[in-house]
Amino acid sequence: MKIAVLVIPLVLILLIWVVVSYNSLVRANISTDEAFAQIEVQLKRRADLIPNLVESVKGYAAHEKSTLDAVITARAKATSATGVAGVAAADGQLTTALRGLLAVAESYPDLKASTNFLALQEELSTTENKVAFARQFYNDSVRKLNQAVKTFPSSLFVGLAKVSARAFYEVENPADRDVPHIKF
Amino acid sequence: MSESAINFRQLQGANRRKTFLLLGAMGALVWAVVFAAMTYLGKSTTAIVPIAVGIALISVWGSYYFSDSLVMTMTGARIIEREDNPTLFNLVEEVCLASGLKLPKVAIVEDSAPNAFATGRNPEHAVIAFTTRILEIMDRDELQGVIAHEMSHVANRDTLVSAVAATTAGAIAILSDMLMRVMFFGGMGNRDDRENNQNPLAIVVSLVVLILAPIAAVLLKTAISRKRESLADATAVAFTRNPAGLRRALEKLQRDTTVVAQRSNAVAHIWIESPLDGKGVSKLFSSHPPLEERIAILRNMEANPL
Repeated sequence: MKIAVLVIPLVLILLIWVVVSYNSLVRANISTDEAFAQIEVQLKRRADLIPNLVESVKGYAAHEKSTLDAVITARAKATSATGVAGVAAADGQLTTALRGLLAVAESYPDLKASTNFLALQEELSTTENKVAFARQFYNDSVRKLNQAVKTFPSSLFVGLAKVSARAFYEVENPADRDVPHIKF
Repeated sequence: MSESAINFRQLQGANRRKTFLLLGAMGALVWAVVFAAMTYLGKSTTAIVPIAVGIALISVWGSYYFSDSLVMTMTGARIIEREDNPTLFNLVEEVCLASGLKLPKVAIVEDSAPNAFATGRNPEHAVIAFTTRILEIMDRDELQGVIAHEMSHVANRDTLVSAVAATTAGAIAILSDMLMRVMFFGGMGNRDDRENNQNPLAIVVSLVVLILAPIAAVLLKTAISRKRESLADATAVAFTRNPAGLRRALEKLQRDTTVVAQRSNAVAHIWIESPLDGKGVSKLFSSHPPLEERIAILRNMEANPL
């Protein structure tokens, strides 16, 4: 009798602890997936903006062909990339190409003054910020997940929950990561 | 705020710990008041405790649960849609991505003073509001900082925290008020309840506790409010990783001398810049840390990025 009184609560506490640890690992894993999906959503948004941007720049600066081509190529690569590392690398290249394009646009006053271009500028700058913040949120989620996976006692349930440490979203140029603010 | 705490993670941790300590102190204060009452008036007075807590709970719970609609009415805020201000919505969406929060309702207050606030009982019912003036004077990065500060209040559930603080402070005020009345008008009848050989020192201490408790409760409540403001600044930096944006926004608020037209005490604590902090208001009774202090901490974060 006395042993049962002692053992049953202990077993219950142990059980609750297992469930809580398991759930928190699974939850961290799911939110990391969601965070990555959000990056892809924002990258898609940006890819959708580019044809419009290229068209409006072409109207004023058709002979800047190499810059325009660089953007188009980078966009094609970005839309077909898969996996965290692949998407991240293509994303980095597109960011660089876009910056080149916007730098070119600086020297065309007519282009800069066109209403279409001004509206695109706001769209593009918010999308760049959104891409950057989605990356940052993903990396924060990965940081939390990896911490749980690698630290005791949550590390005990890694096998049970079928989760593992994930790779950070690293844009090729490390400077791109902490510059979510485009200046036109 | 200790100067050594430099990055936003440390600042968030420090402010959270301080909130818990202050809420703990509030609990201890309730205990002290009950203990004083028992010493002075006998054990039967403890029956007052659930009554006082009940009254405080009822009065605060409504304003917590309906905070979104209540505050909107009190400040005259009006919900806007994306078409009304696409750039503002872009910025709010950016901060939502950075924080992982759902898109809140966005509202505008027609006012010639720059200010902003967040309310709502949980992230699902969150409303963030901006005065028309703050939208005029802030640039993109500054407004992003302001939005991040408001969304931090949502993320940190500050409506709940301030409701808990207000309930406890309210209960203490009601409790000591009731007990003082009992003292002056001769009590609960059951005199035998009193312990016979009372220590006179204990009686004096009890009396002092009862008199000072309501003031102490208000001081604790405003201290909690200040810690939540500092926490929101630190969390905003965690979201945007751009302390300079919020710092420049606060500097603009500091240079601006106008205050929002609604100077109601009841909603003063929710604005990003307190509308009440005049020269005469002591720092101890203020719901916000001084702007200079907040700016200095953000500057420190700029100098020490993570």
